[in-house]
Amino acid sequence: MKKVTVQDQGVVEKAKCHAAAIGVAMKESVYPLTATVQYPRQRKKMPDNFRGYILFDPDKCINCWECAFVCPANAIRMKEAPNKKYYPTIDYGKCIFCHFCIDSCTDGALRTTKIHDVAYKDMDEMVTLTEEMIEPPEIVREDTKLVEYLIDDKDLQMKKTREVDNLFVDEVPPSVEIPVVSQCIDGASCIGCHVCEYVCGSGAISSSIANGVMNMAIDTDMCTGCGLCVKECTMQILKLVRK
Amino acid sequence: MQEVINELLETMMSNQVSVPVIQPVIDMAAQIPMMGLGISFILWTPIFALLICPGLSTLGIFLLFFPWIERKLCARIQWRVGPREIVPWLGGLIQLLADTLRFLFQEVIVHKDAHRPYFLQFAFLSFAAALLPLLFINAGDVIAIASPYGIQLLLALVCLFPLFILGLGWASNSRFAFIGSVREAFMYFAYEIPFIIAVLAMVILFGTSNPILIPDKWGIILNPIAAFTFFVGAAMATSRMPFEIPEADQEVAAGPHVEYSGIAFGLIYVMCYEKAYILSTLMVVLFLGGGSGPDIPGLTVHLGDLMGIVWFLLKVIIVMTTMFVLRTIYPRYRLDQGLTIGWGAMIAISLVALAWSIVFVFMQQGGVL
Repeated sequence: MKKVTVQDQGVVEKAKCHAAAIGVAMKESVYPLTATVQYPRQRKKMPDNFRGYILFDPDKCINCWECAFVCPANAIRMKEAPNKKYYPTIDYGKCIFCHFCIDSCTDGALRTTKIHDVAYKDMDEMVTLTEEMIEPPEIVREDTKLVEYLIDDKDLQMKKTREVDNLFVDEVPPSVEIPVVSQCIDGASCIGCHVCEYVCGSGAISSSIANGVMNMAIDTDMCTGCGLCVKECTMQILKLVRK
Repeated sequence: MQEVINELLETMMSNQVSVPVIQPVIDMAAQIPMMGLGISFILWTPIFALLICPGLSTLGIFLLFFPWIERKLCARIQWRVGPREIVPWLGGLIQLLADTLRFLFQEVIVHKDAHRPYFLQFAFLSFAAALLPLLFINAGDVIAIASPYGIQLLLALVCLFPLFILGLGWASNSRFAFIGSVREAFMYFAYEIPFIIAVLAMVILFGTSNPILIPDKWGIILNPIAAFTFFVGAAMATSRMPFEIPEADQEVAAGPHVEYSGIAFGLIYVMCYEKAYILSTLMVVLFLGGGSGPDIPGLTVHLGDLMGIVWFLLKVIIVMTTMFVLRTIYPRYRLDQGLTIGWGAMIAISLVALAWSIVFVFMQQGGVL
């Protein structure tokens, strides 16, 4: 058995550490850095793509049912409306706020808000019907300050501004495209079926035979990161990685 | 009958707390028959010491506000906000008043297995035990009982505390309370010996154990080792954070007082603050020059005996605050580490302090110093 030993410090070193700890305590008691958001009176600034309460716009819905299909928690059920269309209802008792439904919504009928503080009286009330999803829920705003956490070179700083945050997101910022390329993670398992070479539209994959051994090569400059080869590879040894 | 009253009045008048600023008011009130008797009774030095300072009133005010100061200060150091919801514009100053009200209206639950008489008695008796040591401490020139064995008596009464805590644990009849009591007993033996030796060192150094006769010298300069030992011992005795071993919240719930609720819990909750207050007063008397302070022209003349009390309380506040800040700096020791510190390093340091004092006294007598 191995015994973990503490690094032995001299008395002077220890005294220095104690003095430093006491110094920090004294400094913080005079000029404290507070990290607490006093919630009902202050609100933390949330990003525009915050995963909060979901709003629904029936005019934009095309009845594709994608949201209900993709929901991993089975929180979304489609209910028939009087106009014979099917609209989603969300059970917030089940919802895990992954927002796959909003990502999968083709015409932007579902959209996110920054509301995260809705209270229900019982479990039945948590099943939110379509007509309740059109209008945002009634919430009491007590906040007068907006809190932002800023990380400067050394410490976490709290910036408080006297304004009221808009909880509704009008336009979700487009997601940033991360350039990816295809890469072979296990060359020894390649069976040389050439599927990747055939399927590649940009001609980034080439093959060569040397000494009776098949060698596949991917040109990272030409690869567009479409992922077709990854999908088609019979041995599943191709992978999309960050450029 | 008249003679007895006159004799009593004479005794009281000969030993009054003198405060020149309010003397006209006292003289005016003395014209009213019963009022004068009452006021001179309260200003009679022993009664003043017992009821006002350093006794009941001061202790009560400290108990009301020191938990708030501790919470607020620790919160600031730990980047939190601390109590704030009750009277926000005062920063939640009367938080403990609200807590007390809540404790008062809460039911005191005595569970089935508890030893009912002791379970209730010890909670309330422990509060009385906290007041007794204050009889022998002096704030400036104000003291209730000036005894040549004052400091020894005070130490003996301070040592009553752990007995009550052990009693609480035993009467609770719960496994957490048992473990907490045993830990308390272990810690008690670990800190008591170096603590007493540190006080003994100062008694030898000053040559007297009558607190009122202790010269206004700063013992922390004369014997810093004894001061350090005393401070660490006091932190252990009050089970403050680095030595919060008996009440370790995460391991044994709340130690000896896990079963208590309502006002009984409230009394036990403030017990460690009482102990901190008493040990801080002792620290001020032994190491920080008691009620002595620089002469402020104009103020000292007007305040009279009150000036010593003001200096004394200021020093007590500083010592108590230092004691409370410890919990933000250090994590808790394990029981075995606490015992190692108590029986090992602390005893060694306290013996060094004792030797220091003896050498100091010899050098003083030899005329070297």
